[in-house]
Amino acid sequence: MTTTTTPPTAAEVPVQKRTSIGKFLVQGGTTIALIALVLFFFAMRPDVFLTFTNVRNILFQVSILAIISGAQTLVMVVGDFDLSLAATSSLAGSVAASLMLDGTSTLPAILVALVVGLGVGLANGFLVAYVGLSAFVATLATMTSVTGLAYLVTEGTTLFDLPAGFDSLGQGRVLNIPVPVYIAIGLSVVLWGLLRFTTTGRKWYAIGGNVEVSRLSGINVQRGRLLAFTAAGLISAVGGILLAARLGSASAVQGSDNLLFSVAAVFLGMTVIRSGRANLVGTMVGVAIIGVMSNGLNILGVNSYVQQVVTGLIIIAAVTLSSVRTRER
Amino acid sequence: MSTAFAATGTVPALEAVGISKHFDGVFALNGAQLSVRPGEIHALLGENGAGKSTLVKVLTGVHTPDSGRILRSGEEVEFANVRVAHHAGIVALYQELSIIPTISVAENILLGEQTPSRGGVVQWSRLRRRAQEQLDKLHQKIPLRQLAGELSPVQQTMVSFARALANDAQVLILDEPTASLTDTEITELFAVLRSLRASGVAIVYVSHRLEEVFELCDRITIMRNGETVLTKDVADSTIDEVISTMVGRSPGELFPDRGTATSTVALTVEGLSGRRVQDVSFTAHRGEVLGIGGLAGSGRSELLRILAGAQKHVSGTITVGETRLPHSAGVARTLDAGMALVPEERRSQGVILSATIQDNIALANIATVSALGMVSGGRIADITRRGMADLQVKARSPHQPVGELSGGNQQKVVLAKMLARNPAVLLMDEPTRGIDVGTKAEIYRLIRRLAATGTTVIAVSSELPELIGMSDRVLIMHEGRISGEARSEDADEELLLAYCYGKAVS
Repeated sequence: MTTTTTPPTAAEVPVQKRTSIGKFLVQGGTTIALIALVLFFFAMRPDVFLTFTNVRNILFQVSILAIISGAQTLVMVVGDFDLSLAATSSLAGSVAASLMLDGTSTLPAILVALVVGLGVGLANGFLVAYVGLSAFVATLATMTSVTGLAYLVTEGTTLFDLPAGFDSLGQGRVLNIPVPVYIAIGLSVVLWGLLRFTTTGRKWYAIGGNVEVSRLSGINVQRGRLLAFTAAGLISAVGGILLAARLGSASAVQGSDNLLFSVAAVFLGMTVIRSGRANLVGTMVGVAIIGVMSNGLNILGVNSYVQQVVTGLIIIAAVTLSSVRTRER
Repeated sequence: MSTAFAATGTVPALEAVGISKHFDGVFALNGAQLSVRPGEIHALLGENGAGKSTLVKVLTGVHTPDSGRILRSGEEVEFANVRVAHHAGIVALYQELSIIPTISVAENILLGEQTPSRGGVVQWSRLRRRAQEQLDKLHQKIPLRQLAGELSPVQQTMVSFARALANDAQVLILDEPTASLTDTEITELFAVLRSLRASGVAIVYVSHRLEEVFELCDRITIMRNGETVLTKDVADSTIDEVISTMVGRSPGELFPDRGTATSTVALTVEGLSGRRVQDVSFTAHRGEVLGIGGLAGSGRSELLRILAGAQKHVSGTITVGETRLPHSAGVARTLDAGMALVPEERRSQGVILSATIQDNIALANIATVSALGMVSGGRIADITRRGMADLQVKARSPHQPVGELSGGNQQKVVLAKMLARNPAVLLMDEPTRGIDVGTKAEIYRLIRRLAATGTTVIAVSSELPELIGMSDRVLIMHEGRISGEARSEDADEELLLAYCYGKAVS
């Protein structure tokens, strides 16, 4: 028995059942799809796709989505989901921008924006865990109100002329790699560790697996869900602040694409491992698929609306495959 | 090997004295008693509705009793909720609630407060070591990193035992633990239960399978109508005594006269097999009330659902009158052929609680109440008025939401909805569940009235007196097959119960 701890991937758990090729394809399907996409685009445009500049581009483009998807993963681990995360991120970006334009210095503005994200998450968690609203209703409602708040903060316009120090958070480079990439990777590692190593993370998984058994085993289910929503709100604020810094501007709806894509990334990620539960490594595979596809289709000159259609189809394919797998059990 | 291992003279691990509990004015428990010693396996027996599960829920803190005392090792205790009972070492294990499928075996065994951690970080090596210790006590070899959802049913049961041991449980309450197990798995389970008994754990074993009870248990307690009627050593009892003690009540005068059956065949079922149903064949006649009985899980409800087209079947044929239905015809075509189902779960399958009486009735009769794709309000009002008058539905108006009606009146709405289609064959699953005695009699009279007009009624019931009282003929199912058939005037509860347990009667 070793004490090393690795993520709970299919490879780690001893496989008792006979693994046929068909099962392997279904199980590894999502990862294989990612590799296939990379190979396909590389074959189409070997001169562009796998160059340093383009890979850096992909990483830069997906870094915000990775952060929001990481937040969504936490909520989905406890068996809920959060429709308000993208709106919360936009609000946080708007609050920070607006404060800075009013003369607040960068660091306090960022801190206030983070607290706003935390507050929205807390409200979601309270509504779902203690008031007993369904996650759908609660987060749909907060999404609506939060978007309204963001419009109020920005007065319906786009805020720009942000301080250079703030912009460098999103646009600066360290060792020729953009800062948001470091932040996304750093946050992902932290969240992975949180889910993997801490009692909090393990309790979240227990709650997501079976609320009743968890409750009877002395897990405070309500507090667990509250905590997951709160953490997700805080993390999405980080994503929103970075987005504002990257764009050098803030508007009420600039992060809204990330809502559907983050849910999609987590769903894709759930198909990566055998238990079919939300997991951070899988989510990042999902983010990579979305990022590679969008970048690759761009390079090939495919219209971005077509990209959206294709993304939807890929999600349907992945989730159908994984539900076929679940039914086999 | 069911010798009385329990040392006499020891303080009971768990004792219930004079427990009463009522719901909506009806007594579920009326002075029930139970005393379980450390190191014994104690069977808790009784017919459906005798109060076993209510008693278990009182003992585990789900329900608070109206009166009575609970003693844990001689000390009086009160369980405000399930967790308090848990902390007192009393754990009930229900099949469907035993494990968390998406996490590993080790984590399942040491859940929540039991998870070893330092500074909020899980200590995986300690977790696995302690989980392994629990499994070793049960002599189980289950990979600790396996996902619990991938284990076989018996292994999942073992994992939940291991968790109970990790929680230091002294009283284990098992509800039908063998329901989904194979014979070899049952043998394995029994071996583990015996070793738990040897280590001093008190086990309450709730089961309908009397052979198992006699093989495994030390003592039995039998409940009837919310009361404890017998506690005794298994060694001094017999299966026949247990059955007659469990029954022991008279059907009363709830039931109308029989004798409306004709000799015209209305339904022919041949070689029907599907999930939980194996090679079932029978015929039913116009004007006949055919009762179908059997224990929970015997396939009686599944048979009805297959007949109604609500569940697919693998093989066999269904013929309504002269019309042979196509394979797995589906609900709509079965209804068109003249066969309708009144389902068991009235509130979730029979009516839409938030909709009005009128809308509920219209729902099953869209074709009748509409023309050229438009619904006619007048026709809806017509059939609703007729249905409500026919069945004497007590409601303020046809526009009252069904959810506001009493259980009996809700059931009448379900009936009205189906009867508006004039079915030749009416299938009813537990027609009187959750209905007070007065309305029950009304439903029985209605069933007989329908039969008198030539309708064939096929009714599933888990209550034997009801089966005998309302039917002309009774079929009993056991493990998916028809294990016995009797004309009601020749049937008594003992005979039917014997069929229910699959005992051949000469």
